[in-house]
Amino acid sequence: MILLTLLLIPLMAAALIALTRRRAIMELLHAVTAIAVLGAGGAIAVHVWNGEVLVAAVLFRVDALSALMVIIITFLGAIASLYAVGYIRAELDETHLPRVRLFFSLFHLFLFTMLVAVTTDNLGVMWVAIEGTTLATVFLVNLRRTRTSLEAAYKYLILSSVGIALAFIGTALVYYAGAARAGEIAANWSALRAAAGSLDSDVMRLAFVFIIIGYGTKAGLAPMHTWLPDAHSEAPAPISALMSGVLLNVGLYAMLRFKAVVDVSLGPEFAARLLIGVGLLSLLVAAAFLVRQRNYKRMLAYSSVEHMGIICLGLGFGGYWGIFGALFHVVNHALAKSLLFIVSGNILLKYHSAEIDDVRGLLHAAPWTGALFLAGMLALIGLPPFAPFVSEFIIFRAGVESYPWTAAVGVLLLVIVFGGMLASVNRMLYGDSPAELGRGDTLRFWLAPLALNFALLIVLGLTLPSPFEAALKQVLQVLGV
Amino acid sequence: MSAEMLSKLVNLLSFAALGLTILLIIRTRLEGQVQAFALQSVVLALLAVLIAVYSGSVELFGVGVALAVVKVVIIPRVLNRAVAKIGLSRVAAPYLSTAPALIICALLTIIAFYVMTPIAASNPLPTADAMPLAFASVLIGFFIMVNRRRAVTQILGFLMLENGIFLLALLATYGVPFIVEMGVFLDVLVAVLIMEVFVYHIKDNFDSIDVGELGKLKE
Repeated sequence: MILLTLLLIPLMAAALIALTRRRAIMELLHAVTAIAVLGAGGAIAVHVWNGEVLVAAVLFRVDALSALMVIIITFLGAIASLYAVGYIRAELDETHLPRVRLFFSLFHLFLFTMLVAVTTDNLGVMWVAIEGTTLATVFLVNLRRTRTSLEAAYKYLILSSVGIALAFIGTALVYYAGAARAGEIAANWSALRAAAGSLDSDVMRLAFVFIIIGYGTKAGLAPMHTWLPDAHSEAPAPISALMSGVLLNVGLYAMLRFKAVVDVSLGPEFAARLLIGVGLLSLLVAAAFLVRQRNYKRMLAYSSVEHMGIICLGLGFGGYWGIFGALFHVVNHALAKSLLFIVSGNILLKYHSAEIDDVRGLLHAAPWTGALFLAGMLALIGLPPFAPFVSEFIIFRAGVESYPWTAAVGVLLLVIVFGGMLASVNRMLYGDSPAELGRGDTLRFWLAPLALNFALLIVLGLTLPSPFEAALKQVLQVLGV
Repeated sequence: MSAEMLSKLVNLLSFAALGLTILLIIRTRLEGQVQAFALQSVVLALLAVLIAVYSGSVELFGVGVALAVVKVVIIPRVLNRAVAKIGLSRVAAPYLSTAPALIICALLTIIAFYVMTPIAASNPLPTADAMPLAFASVLIGFFIMVNRRRAVTQILGFLMLENGIFLLALLATYGVPFIVEMGVFLDVLVAVLIMEVFVYHIKDNFDSIDVGELGKLKE
């Protein structure tokens, strides 16, 4: 019951907002919905982490892996939604009311599609929902209606649709392999997982290659990442935060579901090699573009490619700690990247430019924005005491044992990224800010929710709270590690 | 209907579907390309209904009907409306001209047979023989998307790709479950409607629908 509530709230909110005429009511509906969805998501997670598996309406099934994703989606959804109210007020005035309505309505449709994707047991429905995430966000990417945003949105729509079409071939092939064993229910992950040992290995091998290419496109993995820097940098800040921090993980989630089946039918080596390949390539591509990046939103976007690569490396290195580190890093990257993209919205509103060269003296001109940006960047590039340091350490520690050379190359690339990003941040934070800007943060009050991201990044970096560790352990069990 | 008879009919229709994908490359006018897509969708709907009758599946019959409504009636209309509105129907400039493109199609078909034949061989269904044809159609649809610059032709390439995947699933397992198939149709329809809006936006902003013009975002 609670499961259906979770899905129905954002869907109904999207419809209601589309029918609303007054801006104040839209904003109210928007904020209340986001909090309510977080409440429902939290309740579900508590149920699942107490050992239940929630099932509803044949199609839906929430285990520990789904619950982890639900929490990430609803928590960061709530954080981004609160900031979005202030940000959209600053970006779109009363003359753009239809676009404001479109924004708030699609925001919740976007949350809805992601929630369906991670709560359904049916791999076909998951595919439909993930394609839905593209369709829900494409107008959001083009919200500013400039030439560059139009180009970004069109590329995003076409490339993601093609990528996801390839994932459908993979899904259909897996269904075909399973239908021989389990019949009609073979579209269900739980049934496939149970029959995984007896599936035709030739079909599964071909299917998984398609899955990696297809859902890898959604997860922003190189070489299928080309849409990502454009779309993530052109989208309005709260949407960038959700696309980078959350949506990429939904793509990864889909790959994980298939990996759990393939690992049983083909042995873990096959998936591991593919994941290490795309992971390393993603790191390499990201490092190349991060060294001299001129646009700070694109810098954050390429850093997402980098971190998706790190997570894939963790999954590929495998073993208990490799996978544990990868899941931990999913959480940490989501927290840090959504914080940074939201802060980047504040920088954009202050300086009216996304070029690194135009931003000078951020710490002086906008102290709160600057301080949060610095903290987020230090977390992102993997400095202690922030949590990403711990998860990256765990991943590469696992890598040293299973694939030492790959791990060494990975660490080297991380160091390059570290230097490149730190230099960019340095240039932005210090120096003399343009005199006409004045002092003061644009949306200081609206940044308040980010204190939660910050606190979590610190807490998870210093200790591993036992409920959190237990939750991750449950996810590992679902994955059969 | 015997299994052998069905197998022959399915082979014939799948071959026709592949031929229509290739026709998209030969046809240079957008209206003709839309027509090729509509015809291919008719062939697929026929195939779905045929297999539904053979296997006695009511759901698959429904899928065939829905496919006809969405892909034979609605989507071609949307596309024709777009073509009429942007007022452009002449040669859709490809990166590769027709002759080399056809050679690539031949190569892709060979690859499709190479990859799919072993998988089809282990499939007991009478429709499985045609699986390589469907896979070739998928690959060629993919190639069309890469090769064409016009936004409308890219959309058609995407639709052909989608059709190829539908055909592949139909031949391999008599289609994926009903609810999934319906969800896919909904996604494709919404995607095409969104793409239509983008064709207008691109036309307004760049005064052409040549996606090669889209090159401002770099690094």
